[in-house]
Parts: sequence; C-alpha cells; structure tokens
Amino acid sequence: MLAGTIAVWVFVAALALYAQVHRPKVHKEVLKIALRQFKLLAFRLPLALVAAGALTLLLPQNFIAAKLGGTSGLEGIVLGSLFGAILPGGPYVAFPIVVLLMKSGATAAPLVALVTSWSVLAIHRILIYEMPLMGGRFVTIRVASSLLLPPIAGILAGALLG
Amino acid sequence: MRTLIEYSIFAALAVVGLATLFALQGPGAVGDSVAGSITLLLEIAPLLIGALLVSAYMQQLVSRERFARILGDQAGLRGLLIACVAGALTPGGPYAAFPLVMGFYRAGISLPLLVTYIVAWSLLGVQRALVWELAILGHHLMIIRYVVALPLPIIAGLIARQAMKLFPAADARGKA
Repeated sequence: MLAGTIAVWVFVAALALYAQVHRPKVHKEVLKIALRQFKLLAFRLPLALVAAGALTLLLPQNFIAAKLGGTSGLEGIVLGSLFGAILPGGPYVAFPIVVLLMKSGATAAPLVALVTSWSVLAIHRILIYEMPLMGGRFVTIRVASSLLLPPIAGILAGALLG
Repeated sequence: MRTLIEYSIFAALAVVGLATLFALQGPGAVGDSVAGSITLLLEIAPLLIGALLVSAYMQQLVSRERFARILGDQAGLRGLLIACVAGALTPGGPYAAFPLVMGFYRAGISLPLLVTYIVAWSLLGVQRALVWELAILGHHLMIIRYVVALPLPIIAGLIARQAMKLFPAADARGKA
C-alpha cells in the first residue's frame, strides 16, 4: 500500500510540474475537479467500508464451502459465479475465504469462476466506486459485458484440467 | 435526493451489519470490525486523493486527439489490445483505478476500451495476481485462473461494443 501511495504522489508531482511549465492555468481547474470527485466518495466510502467489514464476518462460510465442495460441473460453476459477486472486501479478505473453500473440497473450476466473478462483478466495488464515479449507463454496459465472463472462465478451467 | 437515499442505504447496511455482528458475536467483534475498517480507510485515503488528482490532471492536460492517435481506431482490435495491457499493468485497488478510468472517460476514450481496461485491471492485474493470489491461493489455482482469464478483457470489450447500441447515450458525447 505504501509503495503504491508513493508512486501515485510521484505521478501527481510530475503532472503538476508539467502543468506548471506548459499550462499553469490548469491547477485551479484540477483542484476543482478533484474536489468534486472527492465529495462523491467522502461519505460513501467510510460507511461502505464499515458495512463490508461487518458483512464479511457474517458470511456463512461453512455453508457455502459445503455447497461448492459437493458440486462440480456446471452447477458448481454457476454457484461459484453467484457467490463471487456477493463476496465483499479486497483480496486480503476474499482470498483467505477462497482458501477455506478449497480446503473444504471445492474443485478448481468453480473456484476459478468464483475468483473471476469476484474480480469483475463484486457488488460492493460497483456500488462504492464505479457507480458514483462512472454513472449508471457506463456501469450498466460494463456489467452487462462482464456477466458471462465468470462462467466462461470456469468452463475453460474445467476443460483445461480435463 | 438520490444521493441522500444512497447514503441512507450504505448507513443502513453498516448499522444492520454491526447490529447482527453484535447479536451473534458480542461487542468485541463489533469493535474489531470497526477498527479494521478505519485502519483500511486511513490506508486508502492518501492513495485515493492522489489518484483523483492524477485523474483531474489527465482530464485537463491530455487531449482527446492525442489519445485517439495512440489508440488508433477506437473500436479496433489495436485499441482493445493496448487497453488490455494498460489495465493489466495498472497497480493499486479500485480507489486508485476507478478515478483513472473516469479521467480516461472524460478525456474521450471510448466505452468498449474502458470496459476492456477495467476487466483487464481486475482479472490480469499483475500486482494483485503476484502479491495476493500467489501468496494466499498458491501457484496452482493462480496459473489456471490467469490463463483462462487472458482472452476475457477482449471478449468483454467486443460485447460492450454491441451492448452500447442497446443503451444509447443521453447526449452526443456518451456521458451518462
């Protein structure tokens, strides 16, 4: 996280310097734009992080592990896709849950569908970041274009593994 | 009004989540959960603010024409491939990536390219795959997952090209 933060601020400094040299008038407009976007997230983000944190602890992990562990084939892939979309939290929260499912006997194809679904469809990420920043039309098209990806990934993984 | 409703939903989710946690696991679990979320927020905030500034500078400094030159025909395969690689190389979580995507959108990058970019960032992100997935999930699952994910960003971009026709833009520039 620290390395990423430093990298972003180095980038900010470079852009500010470039602007200072070539178009010094943009600074003011930049601050205005950034502040407007910040306001979009300022209340949502803290509330959503608290909600996601609590909901993660409440997930019925054992129940889901049993469901995914017992099923294979298309049913498992569909279940994995659905579960991935509602799995909240960043990779440090989601991946340990996946490990738990793996240890409980879930096979690779449903897990690949699950991780893919969590990556492209996770509802918390859409609500917290994508919706306020990108707007309804963008999100609708983006999600519609991504709906089939988790089952495709699961089926491909199943085929690869024989 | 719409924002108010949205805030209420997030607040209600937080309250219900914490109340259930309290009922099932006691006050200790609630304290741990809230403390964890606050720590995460403090880690995210400086990165998010930096990313918003990068996004705003990009919107002001980079012209639509220049992007268009680099990407070629905005609907072509070349653009999709570049968007795919760029997405895979973009580090950081959603608090860093989505402000960038917004900057690209405002700078005139077409929607299918951004769909490919987002899907590539979320599925092929080199940083996340290496750091988290390899460390936690292990190489076996990670390699299979990564290999089957390789064509998906392009597929999503191609679908988005068609989906755009179903959801016409509210105005000529395609911003909704």
